[in-house]
Amino acid sequence: MKDPLNKTIVQAAAGLHAGDFTSVDLTKAYLQQIRGLDISLHAYLDVLENAAIDLAHESDERRAAGKSKGPLDGVPIAIKDNILIAGHRATAGSRILETYQATYDATVISKLREAGAVFIGKTNMDEFAMGSSTERSAYGPTKNPHDVECVPGGSSGGSAAAVAGDMCVAALGSDTGGSIRQPAAFCGIVGFKPSYGRVSRYGLMAMASSLDQIGPMTKTVEDAAILFKAIMGTDPHDQTTADGGPVSTALPTKLDGLKIGVPSQAWRGEGMTPGVRAQTENGLAVLKALGATLVEIDLPYADEALAVYYVLMPCEVSANLARFDGMRYGRRETAATLIETYEKSRGMNLGEEVRRRVMLGAYALSKGYYDAYYRQARKVQTLIRRGYRDAFSKVDLIVTPTAPSVAFRFGEKMSDPLAMYLEDVFTVGANVAGIPAISVPCGMDDGMPVGFQILGPSMGDAAVLDAAHAFEKAMT
Amino acid sequence: MALTREDVLQLAALSRLSLSEEELKKMESTLDPILEYVGRLSKIDTKDVPETEAAPVPSGELRLDVPTPVEESFRRAVLKNFPDHQADLLRVPGVFENPKG
Repeated sequence: MKDPLNKTIVQAAAGLHAGDFTSVDLTKAYLQQIRGLDISLHAYLDVLENAAIDLAHESDERRAAGKSKGPLDGVPIAIKDNILIAGHRATAGSRILETYQATYDATVISKLREAGAVFIGKTNMDEFAMGSSTERSAYGPTKNPHDVECVPGGSSGGSAAAVAGDMCVAALGSDTGGSIRQPAAFCGIVGFKPSYGRVSRYGLMAMASSLDQIGPMTKTVEDAAILFKAIMGTDPHDQTTADGGPVSTALPTKLDGLKIGVPSQAWRGEGMTPGVRAQTENGLAVLKALGATLVEIDLPYADEALAVYYVLMPCEVSANLARFDGMRYGRRETAATLIETYEKSRGMNLGEEVRRRVMLGAYALSKGYYDAYYRQARKVQTLIRRGYRDAFSKVDLIVTPTAPSVAFRFGEKMSDPLAMYLEDVFTVGANVAGIPAISVPCGMDDGMPVGFQILGPSMGDAAVLDAAHAFEKAMT
Repeated sequence: MALTREDVLQLAALSRLSLSEEELKKMESTLDPILEYVGRLSKIDTKDVPETEAAPVPSGELRLDVPTPVEESFRRAVLKNFPDHQADLLRVPGVFENPKG
């Protein structure tokens, strides 16, 4: 048997096809890897050891019978813990769901099951996906595999660390304001947030329904394209899924004729550390060398995206999290009256950041403030969307850094929520506008990975993946 | 525009959250800077700008709301998640009474 570790999806599929190893070999090797590394990294909340080996056996039997299902068949994939896998625990990083067992498969899980994937574990995350460091997980933070003194980013920090630490072949995350892309940048992997509506949210615990999107976190852009194509598509269980047409990626190595917008809002001024600036400006030079034309563009109102996000998101959070009341599932605390039971169950079992956002939402939605906050934010959202639409009539893609800095140290931003929110400054725009965006590795700053973000027009997922692929090949 | 203690208590009540004194203080000190930050939106002229339209849902594509039989294992899984139960029924605190007093 050849060494089954350090594999991309493409390499794992080739090894399985060639008979270099079986899916059981591959899965056991990754389980062994988790046993060795996860004590220090804590990327996983649950390792699905027995279930994974069962799925691997099934995959090997299919392969032996000549009925293999494609590139994901038998490949160990990690799943963020806010995505439901029937029969397994799903906590979303929250104490209130400590004993909750998912009763059904999310649509993305059904699709991956259909593709033969092996679910190896559930990954750690900021509670209900609210955070940029995984420090807000009720089960303790995940460490960055590049430096265990640093955060892996968040909220999909467990998935990012699992991929970067080679404790799985690939992973799924979810992205509401940057929760796939920022941890991908911090851990030196690829993270892709598809266009809103491309991937079903059925079975994803809702944070802000109009912004949430599930996406791949992988070692290469090609893997991201494979995983994305496996999970995308319309779904009767999610009315916001849209048929954006087929996604046909060419995965080119040149970008001749491509026009790429460099928004002054992101690149001017002091919005990033000198290290991130140096690496990402080199990224711009790489795009030019690949044959793309860089055009400085104006993205009006792009600077307001973070403020819009921090109004709309908490409003949706306050509504979506009302279901966690200790009645039908989750922890229930004993109290004298019904209302006190609600208050105690939520007060004791929802973490500080979740409570803060629920209260912010309650504020922005309350009588007398609704127009000033929620309605005004929705109007500015229109202006931001128009800004992107106009920009994409002049350029094919837009590029920015993924995050203003490399991974920071534990505790650095925990006492100042606003400083933590600023982590999302380059990523939230894509969620507010509903457009696809990817983070690809772009060199190192003082030993820590830097991420480069490529954004495309709504449903332009293939163009984003194609450009990211050429960029990635040129960087390595 | 600083939130008062009463404002924070009111928000906690609306949100069904019981908070300790320390937690209330933390909320008071952290909510204000966030509200101040998002307050920048009020300076933007949005006259005649519509709110973002929600994604249109073609009525023909709405899923029918039909009850479907479920597997026994699914029913068991739902029951297992009940925080409190009596046989197969979910037990909840009384809505119209105070069960303990």
